[in-house]
Amino acid sequence: MLQVRFPLPLLAVLLLAAPAATAQQSLTATLTADIGVLGKITVSALTLTFPDADPDAVPLVPAAGGPLTIVAKARSGLGSTVTLTVATPDDLRSGTDVIPASALSWTASGPGFASGTLASGVARTLGTWTGSGARTGTQTWFLANSWAYASGMYSLTLTYTLTVP
Amino acid sequence: MRLHDSLKGWFVEGALAMLACLATAAPASGQQLDLSVNPANVSFGSADPDTTPIVVAPPTVVTIRVRGLSGGGTWRLTVLADGDLIAGPAAVDISNVTWTATPSPPFQNGTLSRTVPQTMAAGTGNVPQPLSGSVVFRLVNSWNHAAGVYTQTFVLTLSAP
Repeated sequence: MLQVRFPLPLLAVLLLAAPAATAQQSLTATLTADIGVLGKITVSALTLTFPDADPDAVPLVPAAGGPLTIVAKARSGLGSTVTLTVATPDDLRSGTDVIPASALSWTASGPGFASGTLASGVARTLGTWTGSGARTGTQTWFLANSWAYASGMYSLTLTYTLTVP
Repeated sequence: MRLHDSLKGWFVEGALAMLACLATAAPASGQQLDLSVNPANVSFGSADPDTTPIVVAPPTVVTIRVRGLSGGGTWRLTVLADGDLIAGPAAVDISNVTWTATPSPPFQNGTLSRTVPQTMAAGTGNVPQPLSGSVVFRLVNSWNHAAGVYTQTFVLTLSAP
């Protein structure tokens, strides 16, 4: 007669070796983080002064106090272009005397910073970057000296603009 | 006779096998674990990284209850993120999210991971009455994060043993 006998020891071992049942309870929650578009610019000095100088000896007068330190911080959309410009609405003026704004130029150092020349009524690019980040650079201003200038105390206003899309 | 012997053997073996099965499953079958989270949505507001280097979310209340543990049975509450914080193509590593939790013990502080469940609370023995922990999630703020509204889910798991 055919007998089918399950091997008891093996069965017991299998049952005992099976993973012990684990009580468990899980919940799903959600994280939401609003990281908004943000921009901030700092300039190490708010006043530039060019000392008097002989045009023959100093054709390009550097601003007193040395380079400005510029820090441009931007939090933009991924891959967006962040731009830093400098502009002036007018020329250098001393009463009725005028020196064109284009007599002012700068050299720049630091990743993304660029040298340039000022122009009245036109924003000039000082820096360009892609995406978010905090960037630090320097900007050294120069005044093109000339015998043609009328003597006087000239001034103008500069505006730095950081554009973060 | 031989058939009778065979059936008798089956009964004996079956009974023994059943006994082994019950002995193994019994500890878990009596356990009752309860877990709740309120609110289930943790929100970080936008902030200037210079003035707010760490963004703090409103407290989340996590309530646990453990019953039916035998002897020195242990329990554990873990948290595992389903990925990094995502906003379209942009991502912020989930390790920028940490939490502080009280009371300690059994609750403990930690950092979110998307690969390894992190322990938020652990203990030994039953917790017969609901025990609430205050969990405060924190996000490391940075000028390097791309702007966007990021989301991600995470799973809280209360388990024993």
